[in-house]
Amino acid sequence: MSGLTMPGLMPLVASVVGDGVSVSHYLVVGAILFTAGIVCMTVKRNALGVLMGIELVLNGANVNFVAFASPYLRGQGATSLGIDGQVIALFVILLAAAEAAVALAITLAFYNNHATVDVDRADDLKG
Amino acid sequence: MDLAAQLPLLLGLAWLAPLASFVAILFFGPKMGPHGRNAAWVATAAIVTSLVLSLLAAGSWLAAHPVQAAHHGGGQHGEAHAAEPAGHGADGGHGDHGGHAGAVQPAAYAGDWYTLYHGGNLRLSIGWYIDALTILMFVVVTFIATCIHVYASGYMHDELHDVTDHEVHLSGGGHLHRPGRFPRFFQALSLFCFSMLGIVIAGNLAMVFIFWELVGICSWFLIGFYYERKSASTAANKAFIVNRVGDFGMLIGLMALWGALGTLQFADSTTPAADGSAVTRPGLFSLVRPAANGHGIQVPDGMVKFAAANELVKTPPAEVPGKIDTWRSMGLGRWLLFIAGLGIFCGCVGKSAQFPLFVWLPDAMEGPTPVSALVHSATMVAAGVYLVGRFYPVLTPDVLLVIAYVGAITLFIAATIALVANDIKRVLAYSTVSQLGYMMLALGVGGWSAGLFHLVTHAFFKSLLFLCSGSVIHACHTNDMRKMGGLARVMPWTAGTMLVGCLAIIGAGIPFVIGLSGYYSKDAILAQALAFSRANPAHSILFLAVAGGAFLTAFYMFRLWFMTFAGEPRDHHVAEHAHESPMVMVAPLVVLSVLAVVAGWTLPGGFGLTNLLEQARPTGTAEGMTGGFAFGNLVFPAEHESHEGAIHVTATLTAFSTALAGVVLAALMYLLKIISPAVVATVFKPVYAFLAGRWYFDELYHALFVVPALGIAKLASGTDRGVIDRIIDGLAWGTRQIAGLDAWIDRTIVDGLVNATARATWHAGLELKKLQTGHLRQYVMFIVVGTVALFVLASLLFRTTMAG
Amino acid sequence: MDPAASLVQPALWPLTAIVFLPALVAAFLSLPIVPKAREEFIRWTTLLTTAVVFVLSLWMAWPQLFGAAGPAQFRLGEPGMQAMVKVPWIKAFGIEYLLGVDGISLPLVVLTTFLSMLAAAASWPITKHVKAYHVLFLLLVTGMLGVFVSLDFFLFYVFWEVMLLPMYFLIGIWGGPRREYAAIKFFLYTLLGSVLMLLAILMLYFTSDLRQLSPEQLIASHVVSPGLDAAAQADAVRAVKDAKAPVHTFNLLALAQIGQLPNSPFAATQLWGMSLEKWAFLLLLIGFVIKVPVVPVHTWLPDAHVEAPTPISMILAGILLKLGGYGILRICYPICPGAGLDFAWLVCGLGVVSMVYGAFAALAQKDFKRMVAYSSVSHMGYVMLGLGVWSAVAGHEYRWDAWAQGVNGAMFQMLAHGISSAGMFFMVGVLYDRVHHRNLEEFGGIFNRMPVYSGLAVAVFFAGLGLPGLCGFIGEVLVTLSSWNYSRVLAVVSAFTVILTAAYILWAIQRVYLGAEYKGPHGDHLTPITPRELAIATPLVFFAILFGVAPQILFNYVTPSVNRQVETLADWTRRVHDAPAAPAVATIAAPESTAR
Repeated sequence: MSGLTMPGLMPLVASVVGDGVSVSHYLVVGAILFTAGIVCMTVKRNALGVLMGIELVLNGANVNFVAFASPYLRGQGATSLGIDGQVIALFVILLAAAEAAVALAITLAFYNNHATVDVDRADDLKG
Repeated sequence: MDLAAQLPLLLGLAWLAPLASFVAILFFGPKMGPHGRNAAWVATAAIVTSLVLSLLAAGSWLAAHPVQAAHHGGGQHGEAHAAEPAGHGADGGHGDHGGHAGAVQPAAYAGDWYTLYHGGNLRLSIGWYIDALTILMFVVVTFIATCIHVYASGYMHDELHDVTDHEVHLSGGGHLHRPGRFPRFFQALSLFCFSMLGIVIAGNLAMVFIFWELVGICSWFLIGFYYERKSASTAANKAFIVNRVGDFGMLIGLMALWGALGTLQFADSTTPAADGSAVTRPGLFSLVRPAANGHGIQVPDGMVKFAAANELVKTPPAEVPGKIDTWRSMGLGRWLLFIAGLGIFCGCVGKSAQFPLFVWLPDAMEGPTPVSALVHSATMVAAGVYLVGRFYPVLTPDVLLVIAYVGAITLFIAATIALVANDIKRVLAYSTVSQLGYMMLALGVGGWSAGLFHLVTHAFFKSLLFLCSGSVIHACHTNDMRKMGGLARVMPWTAGTMLVGCLAIIGAGIPFVIGLSGYYSKDAILAQALAFSRANPAHSILFLAVAGGAFLTAFYMFRLWFMTFAGEPRDHHVAEHAHESPMVMVAPLVVLSVLAVVAGWTLPGGFGLTNLLEQARPTGTAEGMTGGFAFGNLVFPAEHESHEGAIHVTATLTAFSTALAGVVLAALMYLLKIISPAVVATVFKPVYAFLAGRWYFDELYHALFVVPALGIAKLASGTDRGVIDRIIDGLAWGTRQIAGLDAWIDRTIVDGLVNATARATWHAGLELKKLQTGHLRQYVMFIVVGTVALFVLASLLFRTTMAG
Repeated sequence: MDPAASLVQPALWPLTAIVFLPALVAAFLSLPIVPKAREEFIRWTTLLTTAVVFVLSLWMAWPQLFGAAGPAQFRLGEPGMQAMVKVPWIKAFGIEYLLGVDGISLPLVVLTTFLSMLAAAASWPITKHVKAYHVLFLLLVTGMLGVFVSLDFFLFYVFWEVMLLPMYFLIGIWGGPRREYAAIKFFLYTLLGSVLMLLAILMLYFTSDLRQLSPEQLIASHVVSPGLDAAAQADAVRAVKDAKAPVHTFNLLALAQIGQLPNSPFAATQLWGMSLEKWAFLLLLIGFVIKVPVVPVHTWLPDAHVEAPTPISMILAGILLKLGGYGILRICYPICPGAGLDFAWLVCGLGVVSMVYGAFAALAQKDFKRMVAYSSVSHMGYVMLGLGVWSAVAGHEYRWDAWAQGVNGAMFQMLAHGISSAGMFFMVGVLYDRVHHRNLEEFGGIFNRMPVYSGLAVAVFFAGLGLPGLCGFIGEVLVTLSSWNYSRVLAVVSAFTVILTAAYILWAIQRVYLGAEYKGPHGDHLTPITPRELAIATPLVFFAILFGVAPQILFNYVTPSVNRQVETLADWTRRVHDAPAAPAVATIAAPESTAR
């Protein structure tokens, strides 16, 4: 990765360590949440853990939505109400709930069949 | 009724009557009485009808052309016939050329019945040419045929019921039993007579050729009558094929004439042209002996032109007529005329069993004896001599010399073989060949009337001899003379008539007073041969041949008679069964023996065969002839000169003494047994073996012609299978190889590429399949890593935009 | 031409019916409504069809037999084309449905219909796939008849190919043990010929130009129908004459007219050092001589004849071989006269070689049918020789009549051979049906076992032998006699063949019919001839005798047309071929018939 430059990253870091709470802080939190979720999804062998990780990822994204819905980030002449991010976050929560329900059901079914919730053993669909 | 209309009608009907009988027996033969017994009556009735019609025709002829004594006196000759009505041109008869001094047209009537092919100036037709010779031959043929029919109806009675053929051995043992074939015999006999009469009446060479072949096939039927016998069917085939060899030559002669002259008609013919006027086209006789040349022989214009066109540069047609005489004097076309004559003679060589084609005739003895009698006397073999006589005006001196030598060789060879033959019919067969040699020789040395005279007398006594031998065979059931002997006591009629025949054939007579028929005809031949030898010393061997032949003839004929009839029976089994033949067989013998005696006589007033023949003498042949280019200059003395004292006396005495010597020798050996034949045979063993082996002609021809022909045949057939088919099959194989290569290219290269692609895809899929582990966490890793990688990639690729 | 009017031509239906009736019946028989099992029905239908076609052709050829002559019937003595049918077919290429008969083709048509009828009757012993056999058989008949009557080269070619395929199957399915080999050999040989022929057809087509012909020639060659009124004719002629581009044609009569022009484009066009005329002649000749066949392209014939079933052998020998001779006479010579003159030696030489070679090969055969097959090679050699003897310039004269004699002889020989060879094959078939072998060495004594049959057989074989009084003689003699004027050597060699012919035929007769006892297997099956076989053999023998005794019956048809063609070509030789060299020549042998 030598020679690789990320021109947009330096101002972001500066703004985080700089004055007051800004969008950047929210984004950092969201990113941490997202990363934590990803890590959780990849390392956990328990299906429930993986589901939790998914929740984290979704919430990390929700944080970002909400953060981007901030008036500071909105340009002039915007015609929307300004709560788009929040609405989408609500949708995500809703969907996450539904998804969790389905996923838990699958997990339960899997458990019934295999007496385990270890995702590594769920390779029935292997090609 | 006009003679010109009457003669063709009478002779035409006489000619067709046997055909009618043939057709009738062909379809209804087996239904004619029990076992077809009445077929004999049908056939005999037909031939008697022919005889009656021929006699009627002869009567009309003699009424119109009374036979007079010929005044043999040089220039007087022309006037001898001056009284004849020379012009019969009105409806196709000869034109009147009688005005030319020294050469009188013979009275002849010619015309066409029927056209086979007509295109442009070329016409092939069926027609008639009737002169004294035709009429004479008609009477002779029908008369002898009548005798033979009557005789055969007795001889062939075995065929009236089932026959056991003792000469056929079946593979399962035993002999062949078969139903009789009585009608079939008479059916073939009728066809034979029809064909022979067709040759005699023919008005052109094409028609001669047609009936020539028909005679050949009739002989095939009759010689092969006992077709269950291998020897009979082989003899029949041999007869026909050897005759075809002669016909091959004849065909060449026909082509030479037809190609250059465009006609094969003997006489001038008149055809109505499109505009109604009559167009007269000259026939062969007047083309070769034109009146303008004093009826002397010359190469016709057509042949001169033909030869000139082949040998010289092409000349504009307008200039051709003016040059013909120049060309002719250059000798152009004389080879063509020579070949034409020689070719026609070739046909006669085959039919008349002359050297080198005589081999078929002795084998023809396989047929029933009446057939032999007919074949050997008045039909078939007579046809060749008759045609030479008929075609005589066209034969050049060179051709005549060839004919004379062929005749001489034939008569000598055949006579020598006859000396040692033990089969009674074979002796007679070789005697026939020998006598035919006489006739040919006579014709060849300029003895036109002598040759034909002998033809007629020979017809009578040879048929007599054969019928007698048939009678003997009928009685003894064997042909072998060594088993006979002393038969005169049981068969007096046969013995007596056969003695007459033997005397006639050797030319017995009281010199200068009277004799049997053979005496006159043989004398005439000897005289003419002597005259010719005197005129052409280089060819005096011809006379020696004739004189020697007379000795041999006398010897073998009396050897035959003595062995058969005289002495003591050699085989008692044979002698006990011998009996005189029934009346129906004896009667023809008596009739024929009377004729064998008187046929040569000339009545006071000049009525006789020779003078009748003189009426038909071809124009321009009475004066003798000189010429020839291939064998030096030849002189043919006029025939009447040979009747003059010096020659005639010598000839007669020669004939008498040689014949007497022959009879005496035969008597010494076979009657008085003073000289033992067995001792002679031992002393001259090689010669005897050579003669008994018939000069080994059959073996020679087999090695020279049959074996090579079969070899070539095998080669041709093998070439087809081995070469042509190999090439064809090879081509097909090559094509298949090329196709195989093509298929290989398709399979390996074209298909290979496609298959390789498919295989590569397949293998790629297999490899990729391994990524599908089924581990959820791994998938997540892939997603993450992939997403990151995508971002990195995007950031690398779209660096500028992001930077912007 | 008005299509509606074209359908009312007087000759349209008779000729069309003769050609297509067999094909129509074949189509009907091939329908599923005809059950395969009804074999008798199929056989009788086929026989009836061929009989009807025979009667139709007889109706055309011999109007007197059926009362007054109609316009579609043949007028004897008229040399030109008659009963013309002219319907446009493929207009873009000027291809027409052009049929017609003259004295050359009509006897061959009648021969074809006659032999087809007999062959249909001879098909009774065929028991394998009867339906398919008869369908193919009828198709074959259509093909053969079509070849003889079509005057459009393209149509000719189509029929030529139509004929080929059924024959392939008939040999290949119903043949003897080596049938597949024989069928493929036959097919390849003839296909090669066809391909070369097609090449020649295209060469001639693209070189031809109708504009070179005079209006009279256009009408005479039926490019412009003579049946039109004067005004319509003038229009049609003008349409041809005023065309901007060359007007090509497949019309055989027009091609002949073009070929005989003084400035013939065929002779003028050069191709690889030789005139196009010669190329075309050679290509066509190869195509036709394969059919004749001549040595060395004859080896399909023994195999095909031997393997083919009896009726097909009859058709093969009786008719198919004649197509070659007919093609040479109708196409090669009139269209390429110059090449014909230059290559006369080739045609004659091939003929004589075939005669001698075939006769020798026949002598060596052990198989009865093979011997007969080789005799066909030998006999068809006469046809070639007769066609080839271009003796129009023999001597100092234009002896057209000597040549005409050869061609007439060749025509007669074709017809006579059609009868005698079909008869011979049938006779062999009769024996084969009984004892199932053809080995000449294993016969003998048939004469006593089957007398009537043997009598007829011997008569037929004698006809093949060229015995006078039977049909084989006239043609052979005319051809042989005419050949002298062309070449002495060839004439002598051809005359020599008579000995060989006698030898192989008599030898075969001796081995099969004569003798004391039968030497082969199945001797007890040698039953006398059946009425059906008698009904086939008798007409053949009857006609063999009739034409031998009264050849004029055929010559009355043949001679006018042949003579006119030969006269025309002889005249052409003088007028065109020899004109620069010898300008002042004149016909000495004035033709007696009407010169044109």
